[in-house]
Amino acid sequence: MQRTMTLVLFIAGLGLGVVAYVEGGWSRVLSGLSGTGHLLVGVTLLIVAAFVLAGLIQVMISKETVTRWLGEESGWRGFLIGGVAGALIPGGPYVYYPIAVAFLRSGANIGTIVTFVVAKNLWTLSRLPIEVALLGVHVTWVRYVVTLVFPPLAGLLAQLLFRHGGRWVREGLPATEKGGRNARQAPDGSGPP
Amino acid sequence: MSIATIILAVLALLMAGLAYRQDPARPLAGTVAGLKMLWGMLPLLLAAFFVAGMLAVALPPALVHRWLASSSGLLDVVIGSVAGALIPGGPYVSFPIFAAIHDAGAGLAATVSLVTGWAVWNVGLLSFELAIVGPRFTLIRMVTTLLLPPVAGLLAHALFG
Repeated sequence: MQRTMTLVLFIAGLGLGVVAYVEGGWSRVLSGLSGTGHLLVGVTLLIVAAFVLAGLIQVMISKETVTRWLGEESGWRGFLIGGVAGALIPGGPYVYYPIAVAFLRSGANIGTIVTFVVAKNLWTLSRLPIEVALLGVHVTWVRYVVTLVFPPLAGLLAQLLFRHGGRWVREGLPATEKGGRNARQAPDGSGPP
Repeated sequence: MSIATIILAVLALLMAGLAYRQDPARPLAGTVAGLKMLWGMLPLLLAAFFVAGMLAVALPPALVHRWLASSSGLLDVVIGSVAGALIPGGPYVSFPIFAAIHDAGAGLAATVSLVTGWAVWNVGLLSFELAIVGPRFTLIRMVTTLLLPPVAGLLAHALFG
């Protein structure tokens, strides 16, 4: 599955490269490649820090804790915690998706993780300064107000429509074929603190 | 080093400290688990970055800009949402484009849909989500957020327009 996904993305990148070539010739393609390089160099440290944090979360927080706070029994508390965590966590998709995976592996339910991801997308505090600076206070205020209920709403919807989505997603995680095995064993061996 | 990196490093250190108090071997175990996860995903991440870089040059901002600044009426929120989804890049790339579109005459509803569409339907994010969490999660997340960007624009119009 992971290999297929890599291939699909690689082909999508090539397809976009062809579009770029048609629009602006080789110089456009080259600037896309150098953009990729700059992006990678710029976020290498961030990615390493994010994955180390995700690994620590995985071994630190026992299944019991996650199930209690973010799993089936958590109720509305799980949505609240997921939403606040999403709003507070800094960094791009290579930061919050590994953390979402760590929580999913430890038994968090699907509604909580959807709330977490959508809250990261809509409530994130780290984006607030640039949004205010470029769009102004009024537009930013309106944007935050009208999207205020969206993250828990999406989470609730996920919970209602995909009751067993957590397990289904867990079983289809791309990394379970590789690094996941070790990572998953650690919390089991540790038991409750 | 970016502020985000510093915050994450501090969070990781705090976590490592807490882990050490539980069991001195645990910080290392967590770090190894994280790095193994990163190693396993490296080809996927590289492919995702390749897509992100190519998307930025395949979709010239001027094109999106032209679609949106010329549209009017209710169609605004739908076009805004879709345009937002297609605008690649992180906030430091995208918000200057949004500001240009807003200044070029896009209304409040269109601008709110634009930002919301970019935030939840983002095509660039999709590759990372598929790579790291997998297509099953992406499906669930897309179904549950399908209506949010146009609804955000309509709400903005109804409440503040």
